[in-house]
Amino acid sequence: MSQGIAIWQIALLTLYAFFSINESLMLNLGFIRPVFAGAITGAIMGDLKLGLMVGGTMELMQLGISAFGGASIPDFFLGAVVGTTFGILAGKGVQFAIGVGVPVGLLMLQLDILARFANTALLHRVDKAVEAVAPRKIEMWTLMGSVFWGLSRALPVLIILSFGQPVVNTLLQIMPDWLMGGLKVAGGVLPVVGISILLRYLPTKDFVPELLVGFVLAAYLNVPILGVTLVGLAAAVYDFKKHGKDREAAAVTAPAATASDEGGFQGDE
Amino acid sequence: MNEPNKTAQQKITKKDLWAVNWRWALASQIQWNYERMESSGYLYSILPVLKKLYGHDKDKFREMMKAENQYYNTAASMGHIVLGLDIAVQEQEGIGAKDIVPGLKTGLMGPLAGVGDSMWGVIWGTIWGSLACAFAVKGSPVGVLMWLMANLCIYVPFRFWSIFAAYNQGVKLVTTMKDKLNAMTKSATMLGVMVVGAMIPTVVNAKVPFVYKNGGMKIVLQDMLDQIMPHLIPVCLVALAYWLLGRKHMNSNRVIWIMLGLSIVLYSLKILG
Repeated sequence: MSQGIAIWQIALLTLYAFFSINESLMLNLGFIRPVFAGAITGAIMGDLKLGLMVGGTMELMQLGISAFGGASIPDFFLGAVVGTTFGILAGKGVQFAIGVGVPVGLLMLQLDILARFANTALLHRVDKAVEAVAPRKIEMWTLMGSVFWGLSRALPVLIILSFGQPVVNTLLQIMPDWLMGGLKVAGGVLPVVGISILLRYLPTKDFVPELLVGFVLAAYLNVPILGVTLVGLAAAVYDFKKHGKDREAAAVTAPAATASDEGGFQGDE
Repeated sequence: MNEPNKTAQQKITKKDLWAVNWRWALASQIQWNYERMESSGYLYSILPVLKKLYGHDKDKFREMMKAENQYYNTAASMGHIVLGLDIAVQEQEGIGAKDIVPGLKTGLMGPLAGVGDSMWGVIWGTIWGSLACAFAVKGSPVGVLMWLMANLCIYVPFRFWSIFAAYNQGVKLVTTMKDKLNAMTKSATMLGVMVVGAMIPTVVNAKVPFVYKNGGMKIVLQDMLDQIMPHLIPVCLVALAYWLLGRKHMNSNRVIWIMLGLSIVLYSLKILG
């Protein structure tokens, strides 16, 4: 049976949720990404490796998703935090964690909406401050938005982690083998969704050779992903340079080339 | 057209630009709302400059703040450029800029958002995200750290650099940079697609457990499949998901539910395990 979660762990994870959603609106270094969420949650809960595996699987479902569907976007950040936490507490491994996390992510749709609505009220305070020429107040009411954003993620984490354990315990008791085994399979299969979304979003039809090269390198030659990336980088740099030359050539021959082009000759002196 | 009361001390310094840089980096979307999106974020960012230029005249100050607090929305990654241009115009034109600035902002925000989203949002995220995932599903934090470092060493410096480039070079920068970034996006897409191709065998894990036994003969179905093509099942599953995504009334959520259900069914039928 599963052990409990310590209060300091709930507090840290809640703080992390508050911080990371705000950070994603700032420098956006990646702390909101599911793979970071899995790693950080794993570290706090004492199993970094499991956190990475859960977060990595969630990240694969999210990659490109925001760009693709106009429909509701699942919150795999929450999925990774909640899945990793209860996966570690239950001691049932990665598959169970993913089985808990994916539905949570799918059901927690667009918490953004709440924050974005609440912020409208702040906007009107800013308008008043502008009218009164009160820069200090403008700054304060603008920055206040960070509270709503933070709460939109911190509250769900706080609530689910504080009260979710009985639900998970019941799940553990009644979970039949077909479901447990099915979730295990799902952990391996679900990444295809993220890959397919990316293939749909990227102009794949124009880049079929590259797709094949990437696949063959990894599948037949067992080149690690970093190696494939380096090959891809070589191809990209080559392509960029080649087209750069084409562009320059076009600029020189085109009659409409602007005289301000550095290094270009000016024929009609 | 020169403002008569413009004095030397009102000149915009590097320090001012850095202040604006940090403000945009930290607060551009912090008050994002459905009514005017990034309007307050933009006003907050440029406030130190407005204060310096118009702080002595309450009416002008208010007028300019109103002009800068209008509907605005662009990619956070590219917003520094617009601020740089805006500041350059204001420094030159003074309060007269209030007729130029709104057009400048609304004219640039769309194209820059497009470039920023495809370059930094999709391609950049795909490449580093894929790497991070490929390492993470095997339990290694290396990919995550690489992504973080790349953001710190390339993405963030680009953002902070671009305000100075825009301030110094003016609107000319936007055309040259847009061309360059578009070309770069195209080349980087090659890299992105190649990495996605490599992800199929690296991160998808689906094997057929079926073993046929007849007397001394034993046939492992997975071995036969591997002889046709390694990772055949993952390829078929990707093809299925790809096809599903193209169907009407389909979205990524539904495809995830379908894959979840399919996994459970295929496990129960002992086809996958």
